[in-house]
Amino acid sequence: MFLEASKVLRHPRCANCHPDGDVPLQAMEAVPHEPPVTRGPADRGVVGMECTSCHQDRNLENARVPGAPNWHLAPREMAWVGKSPRFICEQMKDPRRNGGKSLAQIVHHNAHDELVAWGWLPGHGREPAPGTQAQFGELVAAWVETGAECPDEGAQP
Amino acid sequence: MTGPLVIARRSFLRGLNLAVGGLTLGFSFSARAQKAPVPSGSQALDATAPGLNPNVFLHVAPDGLVTIVCHRSEMGQGIRSSLPVLIADELGAQMARVKIRQADGDVVYGDQNTDGSNSIRGFYEDLRRVGATARMMLIEAAAARWKVRADECVAKDHLVTHRPTKRRLGFGALAVEAARRKIPEPKTVVLRPRSELTSLTANMPLLDGPAYVTGQAMFGADVRLPGMLTVVIARPPVVGGTIVRFDAADALAVPGVVKVVEMPQPKVPWHFQPWGGLAVVAENTWAAMRGRAALHITWAAGPNGAYDSEVFKAALSKAVSVPGLVARKVGDAEAALKSAARTVEAEYHVPHLPHLPMEPPVAVARMTSDLCEVWAPTQNPQAAQKEVARALGVPLEKVRVHVTFLGGAFGRKAKADFCSEAAVLAKMLGVPVRMQFTREDDLRHDYVNTVSTNRLTAGLDPSGRVVALRYRTAFPSIQSLFGDPATPEPEDLQQGVLDLAFAVPNLTAEIGVATAHTRIGWLRSVYNIFQGFSIGSFVDELAHERKADPRDVWLELIGPPRKLSLSDLGVKELKNYGQPLELHPVDAGRLRNVIDRVTRAARWDERGRDGRFLGLAAHRSFLSYVAAIVSMIKRPDGKLVVDEVWVALDAGIIVNAERVRAQMEGSVIFGMSLALYGGITMKNGAIEQENFRDGGRIVRMGEAPRKTWVDLMESDAAPGGVGEPGVPPIAPAIANAVFALTGQRVRELPLIKAMGRQRV
Amino acid sequence: MSISLRINGEERLLDVDPEMPLLWVLRDVLGLTGTKYGCGAALCGACTVHLEGQVVRSCVTPVRRAQGKSVTTIEGLSPDGSHPLQRAWVEQGVPQCGFCQAGQLMTAAALLKEHPVPTDAQIDQSMAGNLCRCGTYCRIRDAIKKVSGGGR
Repeated sequence: MFLEASKVLRHPRCANCHPDGDVPLQAMEAVPHEPPVTRGPADRGVVGMECTSCHQDRNLENARVPGAPNWHLAPREMAWVGKSPRFICEQMKDPRRNGGKSLAQIVHHNAHDELVAWGWLPGHGREPAPGTQAQFGELVAAWVETGAECPDEGAQP
Repeated sequence: MTGPLVIARRSFLRGLNLAVGGLTLGFSFSARAQKAPVPSGSQALDATAPGLNPNVFLHVAPDGLVTIVCHRSEMGQGIRSSLPVLIADELGAQMARVKIRQADGDVVYGDQNTDGSNSIRGFYEDLRRVGATARMMLIEAAAARWKVRADECVAKDHLVTHRPTKRRLGFGALAVEAARRKIPEPKTVVLRPRSELTSLTANMPLLDGPAYVTGQAMFGADVRLPGMLTVVIARPPVVGGTIVRFDAADALAVPGVVKVVEMPQPKVPWHFQPWGGLAVVAENTWAAMRGRAALHITWAAGPNGAYDSEVFKAALSKAVSVPGLVARKVGDAEAALKSAARTVEAEYHVPHLPHLPMEPPVAVARMTSDLCEVWAPTQNPQAAQKEVARALGVPLEKVRVHVTFLGGAFGRKAKADFCSEAAVLAKMLGVPVRMQFTREDDLRHDYVNTVSTNRLTAGLDPSGRVVALRYRTAFPSIQSLFGDPATPEPEDLQQGVLDLAFAVPNLTAEIGVATAHTRIGWLRSVYNIFQGFSIGSFVDELAHERKADPRDVWLELIGPPRKLSLSDLGVKELKNYGQPLELHPVDAGRLRNVIDRVTRAARWDERGRDGRFLGLAAHRSFLSYVAAIVSMIKRPDGKLVVDEVWVALDAGIIVNAERVRAQMEGSVIFGMSLALYGGITMKNGAIEQENFRDGGRIVRMGEAPRKTWVDLMESDAAPGGVGEPGVPPIAPAIANAVFALTGQRVRELPLIKAMGRQRV
Repeated sequence: MSISLRINGEERLLDVDPEMPLLWVLRDVLGLTGTKYGCGAALCGACTVHLEGQVVRSCVTPVRRAQGKSVTTIEGLSPDGSHPLQRAWVEQGVPQCGFCQAGQLMTAAALLKEHPVPTDAQIDQSMAGNLCRCGTYCRIRDAIKKVSGGGR
């Protein structure tokens, strides 16, 4: 079940802001963010180049700048880029690496968070994450309800 | 131009060489200027003001204030800080008591086309004469008052001093009397020795610095007129395209949108006509931009609708694979190639390049019953005046063009299209109009630098010496903008091919046929960009082929120091950037010197051993000589970066060294941008780039060299250009440094195409 | 809809489209033309201003975001051009065409407020959003370092 959910998690719309480094990625090719930005001390950029220096609470169609409330980078310990579904699964269950969330909070976050929601409404011709946020929320909920098991290392959707 | 752009009218001045109140100076810039019609009410200094006003450039007031007119456009080259200094220095004025005024477009000033790196090199003597004339009149006035000989008096520090008696009089105190003196004959005007031009050689302060850093400098988009509306235009994506049908209902529904009007359709040849399309008129820029986004337009692409840059690249390659029109011939290159021990051949491709001034084109226009006024960041206000008059169908004197600060230009703002668009709209709408290009418009409706392919073939004798060079080049000509889109002319090879100072005994240069399918224009250093890239890369390739030091190969190819005649060059004529060869020879010695200087500055002989990988290139353009060395390093993440750059410039006499250094530093960044990222691509006739992304990407702070070293050669030679000559050697120096570092030879720009998006 | 905000210390009540980018409010409504339009897509930084002291690209910032907040533009960086960065910019001859420099200065001012003695890497990272086509980058770095008193 987690493998199905990992199709969303590892989609560039979601994974681009969960980089395994200090630079967010962009586009389906997952290239480094241009203009060049860096994570900064609080995952919100550095002075002069903060995420919200440019990104607003919603997409800007004229300017092509994507936006959603609380736009920021996932912390380093939540890196998904280049990680296996099993690694991401273990990470998501680990309160030290998931922002101190319980599994119930994980379900709620995935199903209702406004920044997560952007993945399905990315604007300006960008390819959305697979399915809908509701479907994704149900999938994560079902995964938790069935014991939150993680796939084997090497297992791919 | 802080504050309103108001220059008092000098309505009675009718032209050059006419004695107006006995004060007009007897010199002229050009015959052309005298022939052209003079608008009544030309914009100039107020000649009715008391004081000395010997010509349209200079006024000395009774309070001592010296006002100097800058007739060239300020676009970042610092001309307002440099050019008036020529006049002030000859005059003997203190710069602190000099005020600069920006000239409107007016033939009384002679040529105002701020282009071709021409402001200093074109006016060095003439403007000094302006100052010297006024100095002589002030000195004569003082001598008359003191009843002494004029040659016993000197003008310095805003004072005339009688040397034997140490008596002094200020310029202000002499201004009115000086104005009554006869203006000296031009041939009697004596220029100061260079040693007395103290301000010129010192580091001059940046005159407009305070205005720039406080936001007070008035650029084109900053002009505000009462009742003004803002316009954003939807232009045909393909040059020559037309509107089939449109629906403006959604656009008109956007709050703030006032009107949607059709623009006149341009005709071939394009010149600087408006581009056609639909104009959205609104109360503010945001409404105009949103209104345009809401337009529904069906376009017909027209004859250029099939233009595709990848397909065209193949056509250019074909054009240089066959003999072309011979534009330069020394010896017999074909025979020498046949008998050569071996040959080296390489093909280079440089795509269309964008201008991308930080300020997109913009103009404000106001039309009244008897006058159209335009405020614009134009490089060429007289051309704008002509173009606007043509577009409106009114006589030249019914158009007045005021020059604002230019937020970058690089050749783009020498084209008057944006001025005529604004003027046409002001006439149609009956209210003042600000016509604003968006950044997307700037890219999609640019007069792009042309696209080129060069094939260079060298024949080597058994010792490796180059005995033959065949230089084939194909590119659509700028002339296509004004006439035939397809005929190459030898003149098109003036930049960097006909004046290539090589001592190869058998050398030909040929032009292939290439047809223009878009509006081609000139971009900072123009054809020299790709000619410099080709030859600068090819010399490096030859050196590698011969396992020789690239510097030694450069010097061998250039040969001994000498001035090359037309027959040495193998050409019938050389336009030589509008200057005679006697004054500005093709000087192999000067090209050698800059190479020598730059290799010494960069410690060329230590390269490799000390972990640095260097690339060298040199080029003559706009009558100046530049050599550049780029040091390239590979960062731990694998990214290649330019670490340090050295530039040696011989531009003859240097005016305002500090601004010249700034131009060289800027040229390095400009050259890096076009080398690394610059590349306009065409698909279905339209430009694909639309903002500072992809092919519209330019170098950012973190990519700028850690250090740029500029070496200015001291020289007494006539001044050459400065704004452009720094650009051509940068791209080949980078490509050669990449080769030194990685072993990968890149023959096509932008480098990012071959190196991968993440590696450069 | 009316928006109230403080611009360069002055309270303003504006009747504007709340989605209008702050840039056009500044330039077209208030006549504060020191802040420049360069790209409209947060790519060039010519429109940089401070919103509650934070760097924002005003070309993409809807004016509603500034409701009840404080905006500083180049006109308000100092009353008379005496901010140490403005002085250094003139002394070092930084500007060429000058068009991008208001944005460069606003970003540099925010940088120095947070890092009074920035490293080269900090300068490069913070200034990465401000393009200069004339190529004044090296002088900008030098001027920032001059003000910070070294910065290595």
